Amino acid sequence: MSEARSAPPAEAAFRSALLSVDPRLSKFQPLPRILAFDAFDSGTHGWTELLGNYDGRGNLDTVDDHMRDFRPPQLSSCTFFDIGTHGAMTGTYALKLATRPITGHTATAIRRLTMSGRGLLQIEAYFTYKAEATLGGGPESDRFGDVVWDGNLHPSEAQFGAFTVATDLCGDGGLRYHTVARYLNTDLDNRLARQWVYPTVPEPTPREHLEGKVKLGYAADFTAPNPEDWEPFGEPQELCYNEVPTKVNWHYLRWQIDTEARRNMELQVNDRVFDMSDVPVPPYAERYDSLENLLNFYFSVRTHSATRNFLFLDSVVISVDW
Amino acid sequence: MRQSQTAVLERNTTLTGEFATEPYEAAWAGEARWFVQVLERSAEDAELTLTTQISPDGITWCDHDGGTHRTEGELTTWAVREFGQWLRVRGDVAPAGAQVKVRIYLAVKS
Repeated sequence: MSEARSAPPAEAAFRSALLSVDPRLSKFQPLPRILAFDAFDSGTHGWTELLGNYDGRGNLDTVDDHMRDFRPPQLSSCTFFDIGTHGAMTGTYALKLATRPITGHTATAIRRLTMSGRGLLQIEAYFTYKAEATLGGGPESDRFGDVVWDGNLHPSEAQFGAFTVATDLCGDGGLRYHTVARYLNTDLDNRLARQWVYPTVPEPTPREHLEGKVKLGYAADFTAPNPEDWEPFGEPQELCYNEVPTKVNWHYLRWQIDTEARRNMELQVNDRVFDMSDVPVPPYAERYDSLENLLNFYFSVRTHSATRNFLFLDSVVISVDW
Repeated sequence: MRQSQTAVLERNTTLTGEFATEPYEAAWAGEARWFVQVLERSAEDAELTLTTQISPDGITWCDHDGGTHRTEGELTTWAVREFGQWLRVRGDVAPAGAQVKVRIYLAVKS
């Protein structure tokens, strides 16, 4: 057990007091060691586009079709056609992940670290999610999926598919696994689901494609392509989309896992805490080279309609107890 | 120290006819530079021309006043300033049916 985990009460109280008076950190609940404090008003902080693997000649044609177009993250001032610049929760800029307007398309941002220990690992973020505004069209633009514009609910909300927070972890002799939490705003038929889900299978990898085990098409769900491989956890949760596609309300997310036990712990989103300790973490059957102590987090956003979907991140904190 | 960012907006994409890249937000940047790398042409006379576009909202677009650029050789580049919030590039591959495979980089700097 690390020194940090067994901090005496006086030290813990002093640390808590310091965090509480720091306006940058007091909105987070970090574990004892902060590995990353990413406020996107000052850059991308290493959150970058995910790309599938390629051959020794740098031929990007060899990247898997479903992993070659995850789009570069943008520093966005959250500017919209109706009100101009909305701005971020802190300062002007947020990190924006934006899909193409192609059903099933996914945008990602990944953060690459390694583990210097084992134990609790936590990511916190302030986020919001939006579908791109629609301008023009006829009366058909007032309805989408199971939503009809009624002055409160807006069809844009049904045009937002899902966002995901996940890890890619490896160690202890090449044992690789992912932990995944996805907010399924709508099902694949664009009906509001508002349900947290997890995959029951590991993510297909480029090596499995090269070995002929899997071949996925463009816009396939790279985390787990078969919709039947996703299971719900917890009760549905309604978030604050706030009626139209141009109002930004920031939500708090805190997700904790245990890399010593290789298991999920809990997910907090605003006022709801989901016990994830029974959510299984399926490892890959085969071992992986070159990934010792891999510690990656990614966020992704996937559209279930021919409308661009956006995930905005104001800030992210990654912390550990080792 | 100045902030900078390079985004790969198209990666080994085969273009034909008219196209436009996805919207990219760069309001924080004072200068931008396009790099268009031609990887393959379906014929020697396959020609790709490109024009920077800007937008107040990421939805409605007009041409930037920097003119149109014709790709020559492997790499074509031009700079853009005073672009406001959003950037994209529109282009056209001629003659009809011709194909050009490209990577398109946008390099922005505060």
